[in-house]
Amino acid sequence: MSSVGERNRNCLVLGLGNPLRGDDGVGPRVVAELLRRRIPEGVEAVDGGIGGLDLLHLLEGRKRAIIVDAAELGRRPGEFVRFTPEEAHLVQSLASLSSHTAGLADALALARALGQTLPEIIIYGVQPERMDWGEGLSPAMEAALPQLVEEILGELRNGFGDSEAAP
Amino acid sequence: MTTLNVNVHYVTRVEGHGNIVVDVKNGEVKECRFEVVEAPRFFEAFVRGRPYHDINHIVSRICGICSVGHSTTSTRATEKALDVELSEQAWLLRKLNLHGEILDSHILHAYCLVAPDFFGVPSVIPLVETHREVVERALRLKKLAGDLCAMVSGRHTHPCALVVGGFTHTPTERELREMRERLIAARADMEATVDLFASLPWPQFERETEYVSLRRADEYAFIDGVIVTSDGFTYLIEDYKKVTNEYLVPFSTAKWTKHNRESYMVGALARFNNNYEQLHPKAKEAAAKLGMKPIVTNPFLNTAAQVVEMVHSLEDSIRIIEELLTRGVREEKPAPVTVRAGEGVGACEVPRGILFHHYVYDEKGICVEANCIIPTNQNLANLNADIRALVPQILDRPQEEVRLLLEMLVRAYDPCISCSTHFLTVEFV
Repeated sequence: MSSVGERNRNCLVLGLGNPLRGDDGVGPRVVAELLRRRIPEGVEAVDGGIGGLDLLHLLEGRKRAIIVDAAELGRRPGEFVRFTPEEAHLVQSLASLSSHTAGLADALALARALGQTLPEIIIYGVQPERMDWGEGLSPAMEAALPQLVEEILGELRNGFGDSEAAP
Repeated sequence: MTTLNVNVHYVTRVEGHGNIVVDVKNGEVKECRFEVVEAPRFFEAFVRGRPYHDINHIVSRICGICSVGHSTTSTRATEKALDVELSEQAWLLRKLNLHGEILDSHILHAYCLVAPDFFGVPSVIPLVETHREVVERALRLKKLAGDLCAMVSGRHTHPCALVVGGFTHTPTERELREMRERLIAARADMEATVDLFASLPWPQFERETEYVSLRRADEYAFIDGVIVTSDGFTYLIEDYKKVTNEYLVPFSTAKWTKHNRESYMVGALARFNNNYEQLHPKAKEAAAKLGMKPIVTNPFLNTAAQVVEMVHSLEDSIRIIEELLTRGVREEKPAPVTVRAGEGVGACEVPRGILFHHYVYDEKGICVEANCIIPTNQNLANLNADIRALVPQILDRPQEEVRLLLEMLVRAYDPCISCSTHFLTVEFV
């Protein structure tokens, strides 16, 4: 329920989703897991809730951002895919890929229209099993969580979060 | 003879999804309604069995836009149930926090969801090319409102520092001074906002209804007070069910409400009509520029009433911060809670209107019963009555214009279907 790394916020890990809607809560849950561990200097992990245009302000001034969101990928529940907004656009619209990237896509489109500098963005889309009203992740999502968190931590340790390292 | 056969499966720029069904054959309106497919009643299931201190954090997740509103209403219900007294400082901070959310939500609605209709563009994004300064102003104001919320309750989207008994965090004097300066500097943007919306050609349509809101003796009410209606009724908040009288309609699983007439309206326009005298003088000046004086019976002007409230919330935020600075802010813990059995109803004016939370706790402080009535549900019957009244007046216009006007009417209500429901499509049969 809080953010860390206030002084050096070059890199953002943003979890999107609503924990009251089953697997939709995977984004906030990943952020909670990251906050329980030691994350590299210069990384801020934020539970962004259901997003919207406020994402613009969250992304402002960052060099890099990792966004975690439930995404309809046509895969088995718990499977996740790492992609960039540009890659996602090649296949289909962002809005249909992930549950809150409609807000993200709008925010990014607005930022581009305004000529704002955007951070380098990586999206982790995770296939949900159920997204109806109800708390808690499905067993498949729970089972996938450790690997997802490890992969994101690995990405952060390997320089994605370090503002001085080459991207 | 007019036959309308428009088929729109998605109304953009509303917070959620629903259906408008309009069926006109040979100039006769056969069918004309706004319907909502509601998600299963989930509210009680989330909070029943949970301890009192968890509940406001859970309900703040119901809506990403009204998280402060749900959280504030929820804590008020619990504080009443458990007889918790707030400090004066906590009261000021609660009001300041809610002003931040009112500002944030109204700015989003007026600029990003409503204004594009008047500029003839599908969203706020193409506006950047033609009206860049408008978009930049909207984003500046929105950021300020978000920062105001974050300063008070930790984060905007989920106010983690807002708890039963007050706050777990107090803004510093320096933060308050800086925020005061920023709010004062934003007056220029707010004036430009009023000028912009005063210049828009609002659709002409009048239909008087019953306007329901909170009222307080001491100020323009956002938290607590009594429930009043423009038909002259006054109720204690605890008697909210005498106002809402929820009932089911055949074509919608969402519960509708009615009081003295077939429907009533809640939201910025209802507050404006009922409590105009208590608006800040600058907000009254804004209303004059917008050509508004109570009773305003054009529902399209709900957005204009939101603009008036933006001015009020900005000015009252400055006043509250000055009061906090004069009193001297001090770090204080939330008021202590003595766990016991109890029942309480919280009511707040959130961006879209009056919101009720009602809890019953057992002797261990565990919630055993809960009820929540959101503004959007209270407006459904009224929106339907407006659609039924508007359609016959505009039947002779081109189909696309009819469609746009009905979409604009739905948007004027700023419906947040995602709160209670999850699917909205607009459909003209």
